[in-house]
Amino acid sequence: MSTPRIERLKADLFKDKREISLERALLYTESHKQTEGQHTLVRRALATAHILDNVAISIRSDELIAGNRTVKPRAGIMSPEMDPYWLDKELDIFDTRPQDQFHISEEDKKIYREELLPYWTKRSMKDFINSQFPEEIKAATAQKIFSVNQTDKGQGHIIIDFERLLGNGLGALLDELKDHSVKNPDNAFFSAVVILLEASIRHIRRYETLAREMAKTCGDDGRAKELLQIAALSAKIATEKPEDFFEAIQLFWYMNVILQYESNASSLSLGRFDQYMLPFYRASVAKGESPEALKEYLESLWVKTNDVVLLRSTGSAKFFAGFPTGYTILLGGLTANGRSAVNELSTLCLDAYQSIRLPQPNLGVRVNELIDREFLRKTAETVRMGTGIPQIFNDEVVVPAFLNRGVSLEDARDYSVVGCVELSIPGKTYGLHDIAMFNLLKVMELVLDRNKDNTEVTFEQLLSEIRQDIRHYVKLMAEGSNICDIGHRDWAPVPLLSSFISDCIDNGKDITYGGARYNFSGVQGIGIANLSDSLASLKAFVFDEKRATFKEFIEVLESNFEGEKGEQIRARLMNRYDKYGNDIDGVDTYGSDILRFYCKEVEQYANPRGGIFTPGSYTVSAHVPLGAVVGATPDGRHSGDQLADGGLSPMVGKDQKGPTAVLKSVSKLDNYLLSNGSLLNVKFTPSTLEGEQGLNKLADFLRAFMKLKLQHIQFNVLNADTLREAQQRPEDFAGLVVRVAGYSAFFVELSKEIQDDIIRRTAHEL
Amino acid sequence: MTSFAERPMSSKPNDCLEGGGDGAAPSTGRVFNIQRYSLNDGEGIRTVVFLKGCPLSCPWCSNPESRSSKPQVIRRETKCIHCEVCSWDVAECPSGALELVGTDMTMDELLKEIEKDDVFYRSSGGGVTLSGGEVLTQARFAIELLKRLKRLGYNTAIETTGHGNTALLMEMGKYCDEVLYDLKIMDPETAKKTTGINLQRSLDNFRGLIAQGTHVVPRIPLIPGYTMHAANIQAILDYLSEFDLKEVHLLPFHQFGANKYETFEMEYELKDVPVPTDNEVEAIKALVEARGYKVNVGG
Ligand code: SF4
Repeated sequence: MSTPRIERLKADLFKDKREISLERALLYTESHKQTEGQHTLVRRALATAHILDNVAISIRSDELIAGNRTVKPRAGIMSPEMDPYWLDKELDIFDTRPQDQFHISEEDKKIYREELLPYWTKRSMKDFINSQFPEEIKAATAQKIFSVNQTDKGQGHIIIDFERLLGNGLGALLDELKDHSVKNPDNAFFSAVVILLEASIRHIRRYETLAREMAKTCGDDGRAKELLQIAALSAKIATEKPEDFFEAIQLFWYMNVILQYESNASSLSLGRFDQYMLPFYRASVAKGESPEALKEYLESLWVKTNDVVLLRSTGSAKFFAGFPTGYTILLGGLTANGRSAVNELSTLCLDAYQSIRLPQPNLGVRVNELIDREFLRKTAETVRMGTGIPQIFNDEVVVPAFLNRGVSLEDARDYSVVGCVELSIPGKTYGLHDIAMFNLLKVMELVLDRNKDNTEVTFEQLLSEIRQDIRHYVKLMAEGSNICDIGHRDWAPVPLLSSFISDCIDNGKDITYGGARYNFSGVQGIGIANLSDSLASLKAFVFDEKRATFKEFIEVLESNFEGEKGEQIRARLMNRYDKYGNDIDGVDTYGSDILRFYCKEVEQYANPRGGIFTPGSYTVSAHVPLGAVVGATPDGRHSGDQLADGGLSPMVGKDQKGPTAVLKSVSKLDNYLLSNGSLLNVKFTPSTLEGEQGLNKLADFLRAFMKLKLQHIQFNVLNADTLREAQQRPEDFAGLVVRVAGYSAFFVELSKEIQDDIIRRTAHEL
Repeated sequence: MTSFAERPMSSKPNDCLEGGGDGAAPSTGRVFNIQRYSLNDGEGIRTVVFLKGCPLSCPWCSNPESRSSKPQVIRRETKCIHCEVCSWDVAECPSGALELVGTDMTMDELLKEIEKDDVFYRSSGGGVTLSGGEVLTQARFAIELLKRLKRLGYNTAIETTGHGNTALLMEMGKYCDEVLYDLKIMDPETAKKTTGINLQRSLDNFRGLIAQGTHVVPRIPLIPGYTMHAANIQAILDYLSEFDLKEVHLLPFHQFGANKYETFEMEYELKDVPVPTDNEVEAIKALVEARGYKVNVGG
């Protein structure tokens, strides 16, 4: 259970409606207007420094950890320098749009339209990208064959080298950079970093001053004491390196907030928190700090990570619903020399999550053959709570996947995750992990349509055309991504962030200029489940059983299964042919072959930073908008319906043989190739995992997952609400099995009364 | 309405209760379901193979489709899209609403399915449970299957009520890591009348298995009005007291099978019987625990 303070902090966070703050945008613009003619890196640094010096700061009541990106909790901030146009278009709908609503005052709208928009028009990164995209790429993105992301906001998707920050302190880092700058006076990158480190130190000192002032006037001795502690701590870590858990976390959090001002990007993720924080945690324990105080402090931090939300465009919010900021953390895993890295802080992180239960930080656990059973059980226990956290990653696949991309063994063992599931080497990678998404199902649709009047068409020919088209569009996608890559270099370099990425200092280069050790561009292949199912059904229906000619069949799809005849065909396509997710080789092979082909195409391309493209397969919520642009498909999917969720998950309702069969189907994909990350959602009912026995069976299930060489798994609980949905839409839950000793049946086959009874019991359990 | 038709399929020797002697194992078994990721039917993560055919007729049965040894075609109304004319042809039904319950599978076909979850068995100490129906109706096939499973190193279990050929059950027991043995109504007359069981034979078989060293776990279905009353539970516990057993499973009555009776157009006497409350189950659990057993509710 959390302390009353934590409960209050939590409640305060969600009390008011989210707002948009113009502050960052205004300060950035104010500075930018005065720096005309200087190097982009320096202009950017000066603008960020201007924000750090002038942005309103606050310490909210009860807070133990200082540092708020905005005075009001969970406010969105803007970066019109990237794309001022979507912000303008959405000013009037932020309040009412279906996803991710924010309030903005009429006065602020006016300021935006009169001051910010005119200045940034024709000056933004978006203008550059639009002017560079060739027609062919524009046409392909308009058709939604692929999308290029991050053309309107910061790149993010990166983990800084927290050890560098915490192990040196800002003072020592500033000295180091000044030294470089003196030796290389012409290097704009070093000058920019010096400007930013100095501004960071000043920014932290502003909190010291604020805390002292607040202590004087707060009128509560207890709180005054806490504020003075914050002041003293801030004064120290503004330059010195931290020496215990409290100091380390405070500096850590200040830097996270500061980096937000620099790029306002999604997913400046947190990496292996239980590894780099461990020495500081142990130092505090050795000093005799009580475990309760340490836990409360950690919980305070967990609450704080929910304060930073991302303002996305409506389009982007559809792909990444729920404004995740991606404070992702992976726990456990391996040490540099290949031993289990689980420690007491790994466990405490899960414990703190169990009492807080907020979506951030997005915790994950790395599993491997060496994982401690106790920690595996703790992981299973947390999974069983049914909130989807922690997600699980498999070292046995991810480490070799990185070796295959030229990452050193030690670095590969140090991997973590940015954003949702994107694999990255912390402090060493600029991976553009979310730069593009590729709609594989859309490609199939194009090929089928194109051949409608081809009376000679064969199944093999269709397959081969699908491959050719994938090849063609992957090339265009890589071109488009590279244009966006350059846009970020020329409009939005991130010198402060770069100073915490290995090799940037040695190379004297910003990450956007290729300064990082590892330079990837990660592109996601989506739709593999629907593609497998569609090909299997198409082959059986048209080519083997000859129930219709190819042309007639395409007409049925074009009619969206209209009429009784259409409905009968759809029923057959849905129910009578094998589906991916049931451990049936015939159908699973289509998906694994095509996904492999996609991966091998992707990995041939290079980016302007000297790195390579790497494939991934995850959708977050993109399966909805990507499905919206694909007509009816041979798997019986209606036009515009969503695709399978996750990335590797089977189509909704199509996995009829339970989670072991799902895992087996996914294991047939070449998961080693998906080095940018993949996502598998598996549904389960907590009641099947009750008690000690249930816990151990879940832990064993995770071991089997590991042995099958899957990369990722996340568990979604079936709660009373989802079961009610199953009553409404039995089709989508056809595979849901009721598991009771010596008995088996599908949930949707039960009578309404019995279903209601199960729902009542489930509601009671949670 | 639900419909049901019995199709005259090839008549097999396993259509009726198998006799004793040393007849050869039939080449196929008649299976009505293979359920992977089963967690309540023995150790670890398991696949349960449901064999068709049962000589008893417990009115609370939750798998009434298992009773008849013959394959049956059923129509699942929830799936049916009501074609103009129903073809009554399983292969042609577009929605899959027409379903053949009871498929004859060769040993190799069955093993191929079972082996798909090999990695889950090995990670969890799980394996395979043969359920039914009553496994004894296909005893020879079951014995052969269990032998093969043991050779693969899987944990094996059967669920039985012990109403069948003693020699075959003893043979089967040799290849089981666990026999989940149902003890239901302990008054021989009532038992005979209600379920058709030969109680004496079932109890003798129970004793026989233990005597030969087979690991037996008694399972008591808690059926209100049938098994779930103090006198009956006491009688079971008294009977068990002669053995040195550690664990007892309690399986509270549930209504999940109710719908199946409709689909199969069978009478269901327990339609309005409420499921036991948590308190009732707890009370019985306490009673059993008081006799020194570890109690597992729900299997
Ligand atoms: S063929 Fe199938 S879907 Fe059509 S009416 Fe018969 S059972 Fe229903």
